[in-house]
Amino acid sequence: MLSALLYLRLTSLKNLLLTRLRRLRQPKYLFGAVVGVAYFWFLFFRRLGAGPSVVVTNVSILGLPATRGSLALLVAPLGALLLLAMITLAWVLPTEKPGLAFTEAEAAFLFPAPLSRRTLIHFKLLGSQFAILFTSLFFTLLSNRWTSLGGNTLTHAVGWWVILSTLNLHAAGAVLTLTRLIDGGVSPALRRVVVFGGMAVLFGTSFAWVWHDLSAAPAAPINGFGPFLLTFLNGGTLHWLLWPFKLVLGPFLAADASSFLLALGPALLILAALYFWVMQMNAAFEEASLGLAEKRAAAIAAWRSGKRFSVRVRPNPPGRRPPFALRGTGRPELAFLWKNLLATHAWLNGRTFRLCAVVIVVGCLWLARHPEWHTQQMMVGGGALIAGGYIMLLGPQIARQDLRSDLVNADVLKTYPLPGWQVVLGELFAPVTILSGLLWLVLLTAGLAFAPHGASAAWLTPGVRVTGGACLALVVPPLVALQLLVPNAAAVLFPGWFHSGRARGGGIDVMGQRLIFGLGQMFVLLLALLPVGLAAVVLVLAFSWLIGLPAAVVLATVAVLTVLMGEVWCGVWLIGERFEKLDLSAELRG
Amino acid sequence: MIEVESLSKNYGTFAAVRGLSFTVRPGEVLGLVGPNGAGKTTTLRCLAGIIPASSGTAHIAGHDVAADPVAAKRALAFFPDEPRLFDYLTVRQHLNFVARIYGVANHEQLAQPLLEELEIADKADELPGALSRGMKQKLAIACGLLHAPRVMFFDEPLTGLDPLGIRRMKDSILKRARDGAAIVLSSHLLHLLEEVCSHVLILKKGEKIADGTLAEVAARFSNGEAGVSLEEIFIRATGGSES
Ligand SMILES: Nc1ncnc2c1ncn2[C@@H]1O[C@H](COP(=O)(O)OP(=O)(O)OP(=O)(O)O)[C@@H](O)[C@H]1O
Ligand SMILES: [Mg+2]
Repeated sequence: MLSALLYLRLTSLKNLLLTRLRRLRQPKYLFGAVVGVAYFWFLFFRRLGAGPSVVVTNVSILGLPATRGSLALLVAPLGALLLLAMITLAWVLPTEKPGLAFTEAEAAFLFPAPLSRRTLIHFKLLGSQFAILFTSLFFTLLSNRWTSLGGNTLTHAVGWWVILSTLNLHAAGAVLTLTRLIDGGVSPALRRVVVFGGMAVLFGTSFAWVWHDLSAAPAAPINGFGPFLLTFLNGGTLHWLLWPFKLVLGPFLAADASSFLLALGPALLILAALYFWVMQMNAAFEEASLGLAEKRAAAIAAWRSGKRFSVRVRPNPPGRRPPFALRGTGRPELAFLWKNLLATHAWLNGRTFRLCAVVIVVGCLWLARHPEWHTQQMMVGGGALIAGGYIMLLGPQIARQDLRSDLVNADVLKTYPLPGWQVVLGELFAPVTILSGLLWLVLLTAGLAFAPHGASAAWLTPGVRVTGGACLALVVPPLVALQLLVPNAAAVLFPGWFHSGRARGGGIDVMGQRLIFGLGQMFVLLLALLPVGLAAVVLVLAFSWLIGLPAAVVLATVAVLTVLMGEVWCGVWLIGERFEKLDLSAELRG
Repeated sequence: MIEVESLSKNYGTFAAVRGLSFTVRPGEVLGLVGPNGAGKTTTLRCLAGIIPASSGTAHIAGHDVAADPVAAKRALAFFPDEPRLFDYLTVRQHLNFVARIYGVANHEQLAQPLLEELEIADKADELPGALSRGMKQKLAIACGLLHAPRVMFFDEPLTGLDPLGIRRMKDSILKRARDGAAIVLSSHLLHLLEEVCSHVLILKKGEKIADGTLAEVAARFSNGEAGVSLEEIFIRATGGSES
């Protein structure tokens, strides 16, 4: 039976690779692949002068001497702690029965097939092994640069494989156990209380224990956070709690061949134990629910009739009102704004925005009236500016309620009696609105927080600040739109990449494309901003002595806005043209 | 109303539709039939302006689909075989959205009877995720009918509907044809097509084998027999002898 499953896995993998290779015949994917490969080449193989220096510096920040030994000393307990955290999460996160993940086709073909549950689990584990082998290889390439860890490529590869396989087996076991627990009526709340409570007790006693030891022996004082952390992680109950995780990490951290072989034994034992746990769970599970086959058939029937998807869709809260009333007539672009705002979180609305604004105004005014809080006030302003920078750069990647998420519906959009540019413009509105709203809040904060103290900034009168703030606020939406044009252009140029949202996408070509677009976005921003910004500065300098600073700023803003709007318009029009010509059916097969 | 002149569509080197020409006048219902992969969906998608044709022209209500797509699309509605809906809009919100796109001013008055006619009025505030497949299809149909299109393309409109839904759909298609709409529909349910269509076009491997009124096509393949069913015609026209 397993041979059939192995056949399924292998042929699927082969066909996946073949499709990917065939896709490279299109120059855009080929180009993406070249950049992706080049990136990885530089990342992995081009040894930078001092590869591990970054890590070593970090160690010294923690107050440990920057030597080889101390790094290894730190990595084992910290890595073990990380593993512990990941494993804990697997026990507390799920609220519903987690279930082993099968693809729709697998579920449809395999669940009704005469296979034992054990075989299904084997199939699942086997499938993950392909991914694990690949990931191990990838991580090995990455970790090869951490030469200070010792060991060689082979030990690292096996080490990664052990770590990933352990996590994978544990995840499967946890899923099965959780299913049983939930069947048995253990509520998620109780489970969380027990897990978190247990952790708290363990960490607490360990801390107390180590603290007691330390204060009992003041002769050897511990200075710095790093050494204390080490003592804490290696002592008390934590020593025992982290011990199995350190065993799992053993092969990876082994410095030479003999210690690697020594470490491999216990690690494999743990793997074997996990495997038996999973298989054992399975047997007990089968016995516990005799009617499972029936339930599954019902589930599959529901899945076939299309009900299955109801699971994934958020229930529309009864109070969820559309962002605004959409009349039947008017600019059709606004319909897209209306629709896409409905697809975001319900709390992203005007009320939240106004509430935030009020809080910011009250808070900043309060701060301004208390000179002793001046430093904090500056920090608020600086923080706001940093947040603004992040929103500007990353926001367009995160707020995706535009063409990118609507590409699955491209067929429907294309039957609408709208020229391409109108569709693109309409689709842009929602993320522009959301990001502009956020940036306006940022501007408000910064404008209020950077109230000048003393005579040093006397020219920064309230009038100048208000005018400047308002002008910046005006420039924000076209700027955001300009940024959003890049990923949206990518969506119509490389639909294969976005469309695969429903299936699992990926591949080195796609990764290369992502790099290109990240860079492209920065480039567009620079290209759009540099000349315009320079012109604005020149305008302000040239006219402020003539017509006063506020008027000069307004003048410059008008000029900047005109240019930016023109740029956005060109972009929207070009993407619209491309959208009209887009032949999704050809793209997706290719 | 619908004029197609030597329409061709290639996917890469594969010719899915070759040199197809036909006309559908107001009040006519053309049944597009052919084996799986004959190119029915491809043809309809080209006509609806979803995918560009490789060569040839198509006029919808007098507008060239390639040259003036917006005007052509304003007059048409396309009903895909697989309903495509927006995950986060409720049934009513779908109609609201579509109304704005097509500029339907009195959409509230129009939407309610449509929903009732299609028997999904009680689901008006549900998201598509909570609808059955047939209901989704009905919603897609309601969205397409809202702007009273003069040209309609149905791709397998009847699969997934319950018997009553099929009857209603047939009546609705006939009524809209009587009101002067030009309709093309593809289906494999030949006995149903016989009741709805005034004309048929048989496609095979992207090429037209026969077209005309039901009677004309029947006469061509009946060899003088009387009362030959569309199914029999279909099998004679497309099956067996690979000509
Ligand atoms: N995106 C595509 N890329 C390549 N070939 C395609 C694509 N879409 C369809 N084809 C091919 O074009 C031909 C016609 O497909 P089409 O979907 O139009 O058939 P159909 O008549 O609608 O069939 P059915 O009755 O199964 O719905 C088929 O041979 C199909 O394999
Ligand atoms: Mg079809």
